[in-house]
Amino acid sequence: MIGGRNTFRILAGFALLLLLSATFSYLTLFSGTVGLSWSDVFVDDGSVLNRIFWDLRVPRLVAAVLAGISLAVSGLSLQTLFRNPLAGPFVLGISSGASLGVALSLLAGFSFGHFGVLTSAAVGAFAVTFLVMFVSNHFRSSTVLLIVGLLVGYFIDALVNLLIVGSDAEALKVFVSWGMGSFCRLTSDGIWIFALAVIVGCVLIGVSIRYLNAIRMGEDFAKGLGVNVRLYKNLVLFGASLLAASSTAFCGPVAFVGIAVPHLAFMLFKTGNHRLLLPGSALCGVTLCLAAGLFTMVPLNAILSLVGVPVVLLVITRGRGGRG
Amino acid sequence: MSLLACENLVFGYASRSENRAGLVSAFDFNLEAGEVVALMGANGSGKSTFLKTLAGFIPPLAGTVSLCEKSQWTSRERARLVALVRMGRMNGAFFDRMTVREFVGLGRTPYAGVFDGHSAEDERIVDESLERLDLKDFANRWMSELSDGECSRVYLAMAVAQQVKVLLLDEPNAFLDIPRSRKLFVMLQTLAKERGMGILVSTHSVEYAERYCDRIMVIENGLARCEAAADARAKGLLDWTEKF
Repeated sequence: MIGGRNTFRILAGFALLLLLSATFSYLTLFSGTVGLSWSDVFVDDGSVLNRIFWDLRVPRLVAAVLAGISLAVSGLSLQTLFRNPLAGPFVLGISSGASLGVALSLLAGFSFGHFGVLTSAAVGAFAVTFLVMFVSNHFRSSTVLLIVGLLVGYFIDALVNLLIVGSDAEALKVFVSWGMGSFCRLTSDGIWIFALAVIVGCVLIGVSIRYLNAIRMGEDFAKGLGVNVRLYKNLVLFGASLLAASSTAFCGPVAFVGIAVPHLAFMLFKTGNHRLLLPGSALCGVTLCLAAGLFTMVPLNAILSLVGVPVVLLVITRGRGGRG
Repeated sequence: MSLLACENLVFGYASRSENRAGLVSAFDFNLEAGEVVALMGANGSGKSTFLKTLAGFIPPLAGTVSLCEKSQWTSRERARLVALVRMGRMNGAFFDRMTVREFVGLGRTPYAGVFDGHSAEDERIVDESLERLDLKDFANRWMSELSDGECSRVYLAMAVAQQVKVLLLDEPNAFLDIPRSRKLFVMLQTLAKERGMGILVSTHSVEYAERYCDRIMVIENGLARCEAAADARAKGLLDWTEKF
């Protein structure tokens, strides 16, 4: 449903975002410390420039795009599910789980076989996700789940702090740099796993659009409209967790995109209908992540928070949703 | 044909041990097309629980509730037949982000596909519902900008868009002033007659119940009784209202 007077705004918004993300994609691929041209890239002569393009720049572009989609979609769907405009992909303790995995592998010397940081992050993120999902089945109230997620997060952060004390400086440095987030860690092999996780997560949330639109008015309201609340709540929780966990595994705990982007998208599109707001948020997330990824010299989380914090503050001060 | 029929119904929350016997002893109740029935009773007498049971949110402890002479419906089929409207003062975060048109459009949810798309027919029904309740000019306003009176019309418009046969309303005039309450009850009468709906409305307004409803149902001291509105006072159904 596209509301009459809003049609122009929505089309213009999508056009603007597509234009911006195309521009940023081009810059990500072809500019930087080493400038590249088309001829360097498409003739596979095994040159350094060719390798830079296919092994560094393309994975970086894909990482930014997939992280943008996954964080924005999971952030928006969790904000809607919890009916809390300040919820985000990490409310269920996912980033804490990932950092515990990484801390165990880097600081405590638990090696997950011959797996690296990536796998430890994924194992940690999914372990916590399933713990919180398991707990969620025992609570009917979404608010309790929100509190449980946050508490589990704090508990795990405390465990991580214990591991940090007494770990050696070199390992600590790697751990801290993981925590700053980066789009540069995705390898060509990882792309397919990341992409598959994002597709599955988006499909799970995509088939729940009817639920997401109805749940805004509360669970009883949605039930009254014939929506299978229990089923779709689990689908959305699982999909959102999968998205957040995979992006945390491949790009580190990227702050703020998940919280801020749904609000940015609403300010742009002025509709709460998830048929439009979901793809709109995803595109907003892609644009923001691509833009942030261009600043290769600055830690990703620093640049994102510099944008994210003012947005969240704006949302709070303008009253619960950025209506304007 | 009764739109809604209860036989030997005992309702209440099974999980609460003190209520296992039900709030009210077993009773029968029918709701016919085109009539408005007022549901009255003191606070805590079980009016809301009764409405939730009729809407299918709570299973009956005993007896049956049938809609259009069938007692088994899927949740989606049920949502096309019955709507329970609770018009509290809603200030959810998402009220800021929903236009009147979008809210009324939620009434089409039971008919929508998996991606919640609306057909031209859905849009036409939404337009018609907005028009029916004089909301055309409000269509693009945000829900949070509405007054309580306007809000109650939006809720009714949603139920009209849902095209239900049975409309259950839980204290719709709790927050309305006198002229708006009166207007609401007149509107309910019109909707029932025009659309052949059966409407059961819980309210504390004795006067409107007597003037604008066809029958009055009272839940008092664990008994449910129902009489024509004109006879209710004479038959002592309203004595409890002057108890204190």
